[in-house]
Amino acid sequence: MSHPSQENAINAGSLTRILIYTLLIFFVIYYLLPLWVMVSNSLKTLDEIRGGDMLAPPKAITLEPWRQAWSQTQIGVEATGLKPYFINSIIMVVPAVFLSTFLGALNGYVMTKWEFPGVNLIFGLMLLACFIPFQIVLIPMARILGMLGLAGTLGGLILVHTVYGLGFTTLFFRNYYAAFPTELVRAAQIDGATFFQVFWRILIPSSGPIIVVTIIWQFTNVWNDFLFGASFSGYDSTPITVALNNLVNSSTGVKEYNVHFAGAILAALPTLIVYIVSGRYFVRGLMAGAVKG
Amino acid sequence: MASLTIDKLTKSFGSVEVLKGIDLEIEDGGFLVLVGPSGCGKSTLLNCIAGLEKTTSGEIRIGDRNVEGLHPSKRDIAMVFQSYALYPNMTVRGNISFGMEIRGIDKDEQQKAIDEVADMLQINELLDRKPSQLSGGQRQRVAMGRALVRHPQVFLFDEPLSNLDAKLRVDMRTEIKRLHSRMGTTIVYVTHDQIEALTLATKIAVLQDGYLQQAGSPDEIYNNPVNIFVADFMGSPSMNLIDSTLVERDGQLEIQIAGHGGSSISLPAPDTPDMRAHLNGPVVFGIRPEAMTDPDGADRTSPHIETRDCFIEVSQPAGSDTFALTPLGGKECIARFRADAKIELGAFTPISFNMTKAVFFDPQTTNRIR
Amino acid sequence: MRDRLQDWLPRIVLAPSFLAILVFVYGFILYTGWLSMTDSRMLPNNDFIGLDNYVKLFALKHWSIALKNLAIFGTLYIVICSCLGLFLAIMLDQQIRNEGFIRTVYLYPMAISFIVTGVAWKWFLDPGIGLENTMHQWGWESFEFKWIKDRNMAIYTIVIAAVWQSSGYVMAMFLAGLRGVDNEIIKAAQVDGASGVLIYRRIIIPMMRPVFLSAFVVLTHLAIKSYDLVVAMTGGGPGRATEVPATFMYSYTFTRNQMGVGASSAIIMLIMVFSIVVPYLYSEIRHGEKNR
Repeated sequence: MSHPSQENAINAGSLTRILIYTLLIFFVIYYLLPLWVMVSNSLKTLDEIRGGDMLAPPKAITLEPWRQAWSQTQIGVEATGLKPYFINSIIMVVPAVFLSTFLGALNGYVMTKWEFPGVNLIFGLMLLACFIPFQIVLIPMARILGMLGLAGTLGGLILVHTVYGLGFTTLFFRNYYAAFPTELVRAAQIDGATFFQVFWRILIPSSGPIIVVTIIWQFTNVWNDFLFGASFSGYDSTPITVALNNLVNSSTGVKEYNVHFAGAILAALPTLIVYIVSGRYFVRGLMAGAVKG
Repeated sequence: MASLTIDKLTKSFGSVEVLKGIDLEIEDGGFLVLVGPSGCGKSTLLNCIAGLEKTTSGEIRIGDRNVEGLHPSKRDIAMVFQSYALYPNMTVRGNISFGMEIRGIDKDEQQKAIDEVADMLQINELLDRKPSQLSGGQRQRVAMGRALVRHPQVFLFDEPLSNLDAKLRVDMRTEIKRLHSRMGTTIVYVTHDQIEALTLATKIAVLQDGYLQQAGSPDEIYNNPVNIFVADFMGSPSMNLIDSTLVERDGQLEIQIAGHGGSSISLPAPDTPDMRAHLNGPVVFGIRPEAMTDPDGADRTSPHIETRDCFIEVSQPAGSDTFALTPLGGKECIARFRADAKIELGAFTPISFNMTKAVFFDPQTTNRIR
Repeated sequence: MRDRLQDWLPRIVLAPSFLAILVFVYGFILYTGWLSMTDSRMLPNNDFIGLDNYVKLFALKHWSIALKNLAIFGTLYIVICSCLGLFLAIMLDQQIRNEGFIRTVYLYPMAISFIVTGVAWKWFLDPGIGLENTMHQWGWESFEFKWIKDRNMAIYTIVIAAVWQSSGYVMAMFLAGLRGVDNEIIKAAQVDGASGVLIYRRIIIPMMRPVFLSAFVVLTHLAIKSYDLVVAMTGGGPGRATEVPATFMYSYTFTRNQMGVGASSAIIMLIMVFSIVVPYLYSEIRHGEKNR
């Protein structure tokens, strides 16, 4: 999508073009509507939401729901707000993203520049692993985490996300390094560089774009994960997605819609910021994730 | 500096054998060119010498040292790659010094070596640029600089000029030749361009399908090819290979060649036991275009010129010469006329054959008949 | 000695990842497969009972509701996302001003969690405070939209939210496909006198076949796995009206203490995904090697 070359555009009269723009704007509104609903209602009082128009902007802006969502609202037993869970998510995401990206880079390097018999089979197995429905690993994973003493810990979640991210990170780096000139690796070998020197000095400095793509992909997936968080987190290791769901779907008390919306935006904010700042790389990751081989 | 010896070398990828028992040697200070069509195994052979590919069997010796199993960096070689393989993230200086840095040579010495090489190749003002900021010819120089700075026993070049345009290629060819004569280092050079091979080499090795077809001086390869493949591959335009029949008339051997329409010409053939074995059978008569000329352009030093009338179909002026196409043995043959020679198209014109340059091949085995 | 180590290094480096995948993916699949043939309840046990769990599973009304819902949800989700994605991509391919902005808007839902999406749509479609209430405020008193509370319609609200989240992604895939079409082919068609609409219908859209295939595989895979969105929006309710295999598996395994049945439902899900993905990957890899 980086090279616009729309010569296949329909040559049409201005009426058609007005229609096209109208449709496009209609869908812009459609996609933005839920975000608007969340933002505007997170700034309203509960009374205003109950009695009023969900699509209207707030009559008087209040930041109270945000304060509530961040640090005061009751989730589970304690009234801590989403803050501790937000921090849990960060503690979980950073090492998981770093580890899976690093291992993916090493795997891609070996698979393209140091091929040995069986490498393609290993790649095939890793690729297929990208697609398993995770329900299939929930029961044994719960047991293994228990045996390792990692049940209900952030360490356990980091392990889970690292392992199940490996397929995609390896795929990204393998495809990127496949196009990296092998002659450079050979030249470095003749210069006396070792396996790791070639990796650190020659490949990594040229891997900027794919590292960004991979980190964004992993960050988005791990941050947004719910299933593993719901299955394997404990009392003090719950990630934010699970906490948000507990907040919204708890059957007790008054439904504080404004707090729910503020919490939802808090949970979405990190990935949204990444998307807005580096959307190009985000899209590249999505495309690489869809088109294999 | 050292000689290089290759002994019964084979190399297989899985079940595919790409080098089938290569024996080859180049003396200290020699310039060996490996040449052949793509897929003939020449690059694989070079990679085996470099240690970038493991050999299946056989031996490679640099000097008296068997380099089997040695890491590329310990073979005392340097290599210039087809794509130049400059590290994109490093400056020119970084590219040249990377190997020294890895070997832990101290900074002052590195600097001295870089300056020396930069002077030699006139790339002083490029040292702080990145490869992406260089032109093709400049990259080529830097790649050579990176190799030169190592002062290796043997230089390996893998089609180093194939990415340059025609004019630059000629310049760089001259430069490489000059560097070689100045430094006297042994060089192994891979190319598919036979002009490069002929101009640069002290020894040419022609490969095809993993077999060494012939190894020898450029003169030997050009004038005394051992088989039809070598004869056809080297030289441009390539050697005329004319189907003919060997007969005996009045005790003399001669070949008969079908010409235009129903006409035919005959030319004398050398009387050797090998030739006699093919009497009354087909032989392939090989003669280079420059040994088929207009009578005035014939080589006056040659003791054996035969002139025959041949039918000229097409003429192609090429500046310094004019190529005349004439049908012989059922194929278009190329004769090389002087540029100002008068050529009448669609008529019989005398052509002088320099028979001292004639060679004969067995059409069955494709080998030379001596 | 050091050279020998260098020779083995690539294998040593790859080994941890390979072992991790082997154990945590393929080993776990086998273990779940084994559990699905045991009488495991709250905790795993090794009492082999053959295919009894599968027989039990397919006799459960709960499971047939989940399958039916998946069929409805999956079909609509895939068809609507593909059509909408293609439609939007073609619209966007008409030399649109601000294309970058519009593209960014269409695609941003893909960056946020299904839980967030679920929360937003859950309250937006809630009759009490959401769309219905808003319409009443605007003076359209008879407006009614109670799908999310309606046993027969609730599954369609999941479709609405899921389409909102994923259609931009499909749009991006198609747009990349459209931009990859060789301009000379289109010029040739124009020279042949074909109109814009005809060029799309007869030439460009047929050339999008590989994109349709990729989109189909990705969407199917997402549909079968979908768990988060249902949990966040309806929690499987009202009643069991929006149960899907993913929520079924979770509740049977972890809350109803029927681990054997839960494992067998996971195996069925795996079979569904692999029967779509394996042939696709196989053909992609074969194709990729041919083009090398």
